[in-house]
Amino acid sequence: MEREIELRLVARLRTGDAAAFETVYEAFRARLYSFLVRLSRRRDVAEDLLEETWLRFVARARDLRADTCLAAWLFTVARNLYATWCRNQSLHDERLSDLTPSWPAVARRETPFEATARTETERRLETALARVTSRDREVLLLVAIDELTPSDAAASLGLTPEALRKRLQRARERLAVEMDAELASAQMKTGERKWL
Amino acid sequence: MKESRDEIQIGIAGLQTWDADPLRVERIRARCLAVLEAQRRKERAERSRLADWRYWLEPTVAFGLSAVYLAAAVASTLALLR
Repeated sequence: MEREIELRLVARLRTGDAAAFETVYEAFRARLYSFLVRLSRRRDVAEDLLEETWLRFVARARDLRADTCLAAWLFTVARNLYATWCRNQSLHDERLSDLTPSWPAVARRETPFEATARTETERRLETALARVTSRDREVLLLVAIDELTPSDAAASLGLTPEALRKRLQRARERLAVEMDAELASAQMKTGERKWL
Repeated sequence: MKESRDEIQIGIAGLQTWDADPLRVERIRARCLAVLEAQRRKERAERSRLADWRYWLEPTVAFGLSAVYLAAAVASTLALLR
């Protein structure tokens, strides 16, 4: 979303304009939901957090600063709500791995063609993302959001830009390890099939 | 970070996006619009309450100023008669 358009939307939101809300909702809903799904690895939780994020957004729309960056605002609130949910549930990374079967069914609404079209790298990336800790996952996902500057992402996580850089580097290393492990396991399976 | 985006980061940014259940999407939209509508109604009610406040304040101020003016006039008339 262009900055000029975004600022105009913020100005309209500050007056309680419903049409402006609809525009923002359409622009960010799917990306926000995907972010929450990847973070929580549960569709039901992601939907609840999505709802709460939007309700907070409209409740505070009139108090938004004129120069608000909507992506930073929405993703920060979503991430904070997820952190609160984790605290409430006392979920730890070890326990999260038990939830792997409920990892959002990527193919839920996918046609066979789309499923085939998805690249191998993308599949490996999704699997690796699901395997790294939620701390690593949130930094990787936040930094990947186009509209978020590094300082926005750092602010979202309550870190200094330098701390974010270090955490990101470590997260990338762990993700790369997971991706390599996934590749090795896929190759092993293929080898077994050929041998049989 | 944006400058040093490597392949993994670009890959994450390009990952598929999903949308919530359509019924849920509509429910969230409806709830948010209801909140906005409630805010608008509340604002309108506050504005009308302010108008009510002006309704009684203006005559009071006018009456007070008139009383002061009248008292000053009576006082100066009495001063002249003495």
